[in-house]
Amino acid sequence: MHPAGSAAGTPRQRKWPSKRRIPVSHLGMADPHQLFDDTSSAQSQGYGAQRGPSGLGYPTASASPQAAFLADPVSNMAMAYGSSLAAQGKELVDKNIDRFIPVTKLKYYFAVDTLYVGKKLGLLFFPYLHQDWEVQYQQDTPVAPRFDVNAPDLYIPAMAFITYVLVAGLALGTQDRFSPDLLGLQASSALAWLTLEVLAILLSLYLVTVNTDLTTIDLVAFLGYKYVGMIGGILMGLLFGKIGYYLVLGWCCMSIFVFMIRTLRLKILAEAAAEGVPVRGARNQLRMYLTMAVAAAQPLLMYWLTFHLVR
Amino acid sequence: MIMEEVEDPITKMIQPQQPYTGQIFQPTQTFTPTTPQPFYGNSFEDEPPLLEELGINFDHIWQKTLTVLHPLKVADGSIMNETDLAGPMVFCLAFGATLLLAGKIQFGYVYGISAIGCLGMFCLLNLMSMTGVSFGCVASVLGYCLLPMILLSSFAVIFSLQGMVGIILTAGIIGWCSFSASKIFISALAMEGQQLLVAYPCALLYGVFALISVF
Repeated sequence: MHPAGSAAGTPRQRKWPSKRRIPVSHLGMADPHQLFDDTSSAQSQGYGAQRGPSGLGYPTASASPQAAFLADPVSNMAMAYGSSLAAQGKELVDKNIDRFIPVTKLKYYFAVDTLYVGKKLGLLFFPYLHQDWEVQYQQDTPVAPRFDVNAPDLYIPAMAFITYVLVAGLALGTQDRFSPDLLGLQASSALAWLTLEVLAILLSLYLVTVNTDLTTIDLVAFLGYKYVGMIGGILMGLLFGKIGYYLVLGWCCMSIFVFMIRTLRLKILAEAAAEGVPVRGARNQLRMYLTMAVAAAQPLLMYWLTFHLVR
Repeated sequence: MIMEEVEDPITKMIQPQQPYTGQIFQPTQTFTPTTPQPFYGNSFEDEPPLLEELGINFDHIWQKTLTVLHPLKVADGSIMNETDLAGPMVFCLAFGATLLLAGKIQFGYVYGISAIGCLGMFCLLNLMSMTGVSFGCVASVLGYCLLPMILLSSFAVIFSLQGMVGIILTAGIIGWCSFSASKIFISALAMEGQQLLVAYPCALLYGVFALISVF
């Protein structure tokens, strides 16, 4: 092996013929023609102290770099190959995951803290006294949810969805209808309804030709807020029976209706006012109907996804 | 592998720098390149101790266990630097064993739920924290914090947990597990003001484990 190449490799991948070994009595820098110092044995510095007292009386120790290569070439190469495969695989995942899941955009929606979550949950159950629904902007980008309670986030919808699935399992368990695959069934049916809703709203936004900065992820976030009310309804239904369920569900339906109207109005209808375009009655009315339809769909879905869980 | 260096004054003059400090001096060598030396014969006494090489550091394991068991003790952020899956493996098996004592053969559920839970927490923590986190670290922390759950399931062997006492005990243990898990995550990832937010998904995960122990 070329000395320069060996220096760049692992300490063991060195092959010195014996005739070089005997006259030049130190390893590692044996070849005066070597272009650069071989510092690969710096890795073994930690072992040097341990080796010191035990170095003598050790006929094979000096042979270690050379013999070790012969003894361990396969395991070394296998290790190097395996670690390079793993690194390659990880690189591949990292490169391609950005194509399917926009990770940095998602990080914005998870930049939350406990205070924000508390305030948002309060808003979801009681939106009637909140005055200012506008999201604050900071140089063209909306501020993180941490700093503005009006910004949408994905932490609450994600947690609410998982909690809904678990609470549904609990509810089915108390009625002795539980089996683990039912959990999966509940989860996939709720997810399917969510996807359907998102697609329907996107389609209608496209048909009404609304110029809005409402992204898909924003929409998923807004549509996920109804799971909080659903969880409340199911828990009350478990504790207090059908009366409790209907009361709490009714309250949550009203609250989410008002919440959605007030939030979406700013997103869908504000463009008309902001652009300064003379407001054409029909177009604005169409947008208003769209907002009302989206908001009205929420209570319906809340009832549809929970009524079979409470007996 | 260790490379010996012979201190030769002549070659020392040739090479101005001396990267091989602390190397030993081997006066007589017999090199036989054709005999492949058995690996253990090469440097048996030169190897680091076995546990160090395997990466099992008992002191750290004990420290992490203590951090879990004392919920009010402040966690040190650096203990999670080496991901150690030996401890969590032992705890998961112990959990399955105590369930077995109660007559529930549910190793498959424990495995499945811990895998899904670790994956979910990994995604969530990567999205919520500024610095990322590795999967091994998440699995390690969640595994260590399973320790109080083992207490719960061993309690369930003797007494049934379906009364009011059982519910209160279960709730307390779930709170304990998720509190210590979130405490370690917060200190390791330097997330501020998010402890309850991290504790909630941990509580969901440990709640599912508790469901298995109780029912």
